[in-house]
Amino acid sequence: MLRRTFLMLATSLATACAASQANAACSPDYTGVTLTVASQTGPYIASALKLGADEWTKKTCGKVNVVEFPWSELYPKIATSLTQSDATFDLVSFAPAWLPDFVPYLSEMPKEMQSGKDWDDIEPAYRERLMVWEGKIYSQSMDGDVHTYTYRMDLFNDPKEKDAFKAKYGYDLAPPKTWKQYLDIAEFFQRPDKGLWGTAEAFRRGGQQFWFFFSHAAAYTNNPNYPGAMFFDPETMDAQINNPGWVKGLEEYIRASKLGPPNALNFSFGEVNAAVAGGQVAESIGWGDTGVIAADPKQSKISGKVGSAMLPGSDAIWNAKTKTWDKFPSVLPGPFMAFGGWQVAVPKAGKNQQAAWDFVKTLTSPEVSGQAAITGGSGVNPYRKSHTENLELWSKIFTPQEAKEYLGAQADSINAKNVALDMRLPGYFSYTEVVEIELGKAVAGQTTPQAALDAVAKEWNRLTDEFGRAKQLAAYRAAMGLPAKN
Amino acid sequence: MMRNDPIKHVFIWPAVLVVLAISIFPLIYSLTTSFLSYRLIPPIPPRVVWFGNYVSLLQEPRFWNAIYTTTLIAFIAVGLQYVIGFAVALALNARVPGERLFRVALLLPMLLAPVAVALVARMIFNPTMGPLNQLLGKFGLVNLPFLTNGHWALGCIIAVEIWQWTPFVVLMMLAGLQTLPEDVYEAAELENASAWQQFWGITFPMLLPISAAVVFIRLIESYKIMDTVFVMTGGGPGVDTETLTLFAYQEGFKKFNLGYTSALSFLFLIAITIIGVTYLALLRPHLEKLR
Repeated sequence: MLRRTFLMLATSLATACAASQANAACSPDYTGVTLTVASQTGPYIASALKLGADEWTKKTCGKVNVVEFPWSELYPKIATSLTQSDATFDLVSFAPAWLPDFVPYLSEMPKEMQSGKDWDDIEPAYRERLMVWEGKIYSQSMDGDVHTYTYRMDLFNDPKEKDAFKAKYGYDLAPPKTWKQYLDIAEFFQRPDKGLWGTAEAFRRGGQQFWFFFSHAAAYTNNPNYPGAMFFDPETMDAQINNPGWVKGLEEYIRASKLGPPNALNFSFGEVNAAVAGGQVAESIGWGDTGVIAADPKQSKISGKVGSAMLPGSDAIWNAKTKTWDKFPSVLPGPFMAFGGWQVAVPKAGKNQQAAWDFVKTLTSPEVSGQAAITGGSGVNPYRKSHTENLELWSKIFTPQEAKEYLGAQADSINAKNVALDMRLPGYFSYTEVVEIELGKAVAGQTTPQAALDAVAKEWNRLTDEFGRAKQLAAYRAAMGLPAKN
Repeated sequence: MMRNDPIKHVFIWPAVLVVLAISIFPLIYSLTTSFLSYRLIPPIPPRVVWFGNYVSLLQEPRFWNAIYTTTLIAFIAVGLQYVIGFAVALALNARVPGERLFRVALLLPMLLAPVAVALVARMIFNPTMGPLNQLLGKFGLVNLPFLTNGHWALGCIIAVEIWQWTPFVVLMMLAGLQTLPEDVYEAAELENASAWQQFWGITFPMLLPISAAVVFIRLIESYKIMDTVFVMTGGGPGVDTETLTLFAYQEGFKKFNLGYTSALSFLFLIAITIIGVTYLALLRPHLEKLR
């Protein structure tokens, strides 16, 4: 009997010890907590969230359930949930442009997360601009998005191609400094009989098309002499999208559509990546995913030959104030923070807010996010200084030359003095929907670039009046990093 | 005596309340909302605009384009569904070999979810990777802009609608054909009436009531087309394939413009009612002749 009692006691002690050891491994302990995260359909972003979830589970013993929605459905799903103040999602992942619409329903980031080594490691373009709304921080970047230029090094370094190009255009074949050079290069490599086309961009409605158009226009409309006037006049909130700079951008975007593979008009960013990785095009513009996918030998025919550079620019930029073209002594590169990178935020109605912010900390830590950034198809591009400084990390997927160009293009674009920020405004979808419709018509040749953009400007001004011009102006100035207007 | 039994209220009122709650109340709420300027995003407090939303819609070219596109899809698709469906039903009714297999196989498209059908169609019509353009390429023909040109895209949507819903017409017309009396045809044969004369003199008139019902059901359903267009083209290029329901979805669930969307729904209801009433009025003299 005594022996049996002793045995039971020993067993209980052992069990208690094991349990306490397990709990000690959970720090902080979120055993029993399951977080639900809204994400777009994977692999892009959803797989990065899952990677973060695995790490967070190991650390805290909590669980994360990633709920995926198609891109076109994500905004309505999140918006419906937030406006109804239900607790369906503990976290939401979304585009920075939607932040103004969601802010009233989001909790502020805990102050302790807004300082320290990890905080300072985030690139200022995100930390001080895209993550901020009216002086407060409601979201955390989990991806860095800026459009860059990608090209095939094997074609650009081929002496025969170089000679032929110089003979035809009178200057050296190299990553373009201006959009005219970009179109020249596309035209030069347009060889359908050899299965090679000039360039690939997104042109399909609902296929991220308008960001590609914005990238063209940024070079002619983001004027350092009148900052923040790319989309609207920051003094009056009058739409600028039909000014001569934008029209020039649209004309070149339309020209690019004719220098792509057959039926490029149906391309979304996914098809752009496929065309680049398939070696079908000589050059392309897009997000950082293009370079990572094209470098991956499992997905690409051109791995080892992927060059990167900043977006082309211009030495003449339209001034919305003086209504004239400002000439600059040299070409200003025109990087554009298209989309601005995915962000995560915690809704006010969420029941596990503390755990949710802790998950954000793990997800966006330099280690976890660094791993996601070098994983092709994760959708995560560099947004921390450590992402672009750690060449060793990138040597897993790039050759030294590829890594140097890719990381250089990313860092130079984000940190460029004249980097153009994407539009962020309440009622974002209403503004961009009309752009998509009119772009579709202009690219299909159903209307002229000027007429298409006049229609967009008319609708933008109408929407601004409907939503309240003063309110929209204040929001726009905040989004562009301009001080509030008295 | 039973009629005055108060127990009847116990059985009737729950049903009445359920109908009120799930059908009448949302309709009244929606009608009320249609007189408001009401947006969820960005949040704007509701403001009464009376018929303002209706006036804006009637002046909106995109609304008229959606009406035109929906009508075009509905009339062409239903017309061809009826002609092809009737022809196939006649063939199956003639007891062709393998008729049972055909009957089952022809019903399969109707059993599939429209979203799944649209996804498959989008792959087939994919300009670069789709098998259709690859086939054309093998014959040395140029790639066709199936989903990137407005006219082609409309044609593709209509083709998918016909493929999916013709079996419904076949099923209904076949059921009608099998109820026709044999003796009428025997009498016609004694009079040496040709097959063509038998069709126009006997089959078509006798199946007119069922034809009217089939076309009516399909027409109403076709006006509600949404999933096929949403998946195949998203309403593009531009707004070339945008239907009324897709337009309402964009306004309601993308822009959260609730007042405008409610007004759009009621205009849609009015349009469908006008089409339905006109259709029945046109057919009435012919149907009354058969009574």
